[in-house]
Amino acid sequence: MLMEILGEALKLTVLTGLAIAGTLVILLWKKNLATKVTYLRFLIQLVSVVAFFYIFTYPIWQLFMLIVILVLPLFIGRFFCGWLCPFALYMDAITLIRKAVKVRYRVLPDKLNKFLHNFRYVLLLFFLIIPFVLAVLNPPSTLDLSVLLALLLAGPFEPLRILVGPIIPLIVPWVGPLAIGNVYFSYPYVQEVILYSEIVFSETFVTIIALIFVALTVVGSFFVRRIWCRFCPTGSSLAVLNRFRGFKWAPALHIDKNEEKCTKCGICKRVCPVQVTEVYEQKGGKIDTSMCMLCMRCVEMCPYEGCLKVNLGGKTVFKSRNWLEPSTIE
Amino acid sequence: MKSESEHRKYVPEISQKEIDELRTTIKAASQKIIAENIERMKKTAENRPEEMQYFDDIADFFGTREKEIREAKENGKKVIGYMCLLAPTELILAADAIPVRVNSGWYDTAKLGDRVVPVEVCPVVRSTIGAKMIGLSPYLELSDALINLLTCDGITKLGEILSDYKPVWTMTIPRVKDSAQSLRLWNDEIKTTKSQIETLTGNKIDRKKLRSAIELTQKATKAFRRLQEIRKGAPVIMGRDAMLVNQTYMWDDIKRWTEKTEALCDELEKRVQKKMWACPPDTLRVMVTGTPMIWPDNWKLPTLIEEGTPQGVLVADELCSSERLLYDPVGVDEWNMNDMYNAIGERYLMASTCPCFTSADGNEDRINWLLNKIKEWNIQGVIYYVHRGCMLYAMEYTRVKKVLDSINVPVYYLDTEYTREDVGQMKTRVEAFLEMLSARIDI
Repeated sequence: MLMEILGEALKLTVLTGLAIAGTLVILLWKKNLATKVTYLRFLIQLVSVVAFFYIFTYPIWQLFMLIVILVLPLFIGRFFCGWLCPFALYMDAITLIRKAVKVRYRVLPDKLNKFLHNFRYVLLLFFLIIPFVLAVLNPPSTLDLSVLLALLLAGPFEPLRILVGPIIPLIVPWVGPLAIGNVYFSYPYVQEVILYSEIVFSETFVTIIALIFVALTVVGSFFVRRIWCRFCPTGSSLAVLNRFRGFKWAPALHIDKNEEKCTKCGICKRVCPVQVTEVYEQKGGKIDTSMCMLCMRCVEMCPYEGCLKVNLGGKTVFKSRNWLEPSTIE
Repeated sequence: MKSESEHRKYVPEISQKEIDELRTTIKAASQKIIAENIERMKKTAENRPEEMQYFDDIADFFGTREKEIREAKENGKKVIGYMCLLAPTELILAADAIPVRVNSGWYDTAKLGDRVVPVEVCPVVRSTIGAKMIGLSPYLELSDALINLLTCDGITKLGEILSDYKPVWTMTIPRVKDSAQSLRLWNDEIKTTKSQIETLTGNKIDRKKLRSAIELTQKATKAFRRLQEIRKGAPVIMGRDAMLVNQTYMWDDIKRWTEKTEALCDELEKRVQKKMWACPPDTLRVMVTGTPMIWPDNWKLPTLIEEGTPQGVLVADELCSSERLLYDPVGVDEWNMNDMYNAIGERYLMASTCPCFTSADGNEDRINWLLNKIKEWNIQGVIYYVHRGCMLYAMEYTRVKKVLDSINVPVYYLDTEYTREDVGQMKTRVEAFLEMLSARIDI
């Protein structure tokens, strides 16, 4: 038992050590300020995928994930989406492939984007309500509060698992939908898709639906950057609290804009992977949108010294620089 | 001769003899003025940077650079002129052509322009027409085609008039900068101009070429910004010198200009360490905003400020002939053709603070630019410089004044013409303003 704990601790130490080493390498090696954060983000995403796989090997992972997803975003907004989400890493990897084959990206019309942005709340509500609807349609023998709570937390449809949908690693430590030898493969949301479609369709159809889902997200993110992030229900749960006026103080991590330094060159609007327009449109002060994933691409690309700033608890952790100038303070 | 002037729509007939006479006299006068201006700039600055020598040479319209372009043209290179800084220079560079800006600053030719357009018209326009009538400006003469940006009324019609002589490509500017349909129109214009440039030069603009052109101008922007950053501190370079450096970008070879500007900045940074100032560090810090001031003749206001008593020094400006030229870089997200076009388009359209644009909150960008410059460059007073005939700049004055009054920075409205006659009167006005500024500091 002790040896096992020691072994796990050792694994964790190695992982953090590698992450820190990688960060240092990128900070020293990338002289170009305009891509430095992007490389850093890739590294952190990779580490987080490994970390999530590791967390998933423990049975209590669901609880752990729920805490991360429900509590942390209160303070850091959708930082999780930008920097840690494995599904985002898959989409970013597809974007890299698209860049390599030199195909241009498409942009969604702003109106559709805004619609999708609101649509994710509907999606979230839908998933949370389903178990109750099913409970009414097919009532269990007793229908008291504890049963309802059990339906929400566990039940046959595990609605809260929808929230951890995008975190599923490609290789899962449990019995996944696709097996090659002893290794099980999965994909974000595929298990849920299978679960829900099994109610209606036969098994062959279920496989086809699952494949269609995978194909759609892959092709979609090939042409549109971070397509799932635009209507991800998990992302909406991260943002939902910050929408209320009383919680406006809560996000400790946010982007600030200095109006006087902004010349409205439009770079921030163009480089945003989820087409957030608020950074460009807002006159100054705290950028107030639940769409922003704090990926900091706009801060990185803004060519005006100190125009955009990332503030963490009142302290500026990162600000836009004249990226034409290689940084001297390193 | 007659048949040629017959199909000219605007420009009246002038005999070849008159053209030659005028050209020789104005050219001689202009050469004298260039030499005199440089001489006066040398005299004002206590220890002028040695690297300025290069820019003095390039500033001579009838010297080395003209010869260079002529030679390049003989070797098959094309020259493309543009009349406004919104023209996408990167596309010209990517097609292996030479971009030159052809607006003219000659006072004498403005009088010739009066024969074509009324006196009320902006003097830059009249002067450019006059320069073309007698073939004075070497860059305008050498250019194979002109890109005309339909920004203000003057420039719009200038293109029409110059089409009597040269092929002129127009680029429509949407007057509202930040709507989606404006950007669509403008990006289409960029693509049309690109194909026009390709047909003229015979060179295809591909991804690699465009990328290296963008990187070239990014490097130039970097050097340019470095120079302006240095001017934030105590004056280590006179404003006129810096303005000349900025302005030579309009016709110089961009790669060489970048190298020389970096060299100049190196020298200036050494001087900052040695505390070798160009003028006493407590000299009044003045900023100029408004209509462009174009070398060589229209140099009277900076000269008056920097040679006045009390002396002022120009540390920043908001002129499309100087600091607005290169302040914004082209920011490319992904190096594919589409994103590069969008980046070029946005850099020229959206970042511009020209008063010909408007939006829901007016020309807010310009106000922000001014406020930022005033804060960061420690400006003590602003001179609002307007050519008689420039409606757009004149009409924005009240708003600028209100904003600057609210932050307690004096602003002085100075309107003038392309003429040397009002120098004495302007001297009195500028010196009174500078006197007032120094009185404010004493209190």
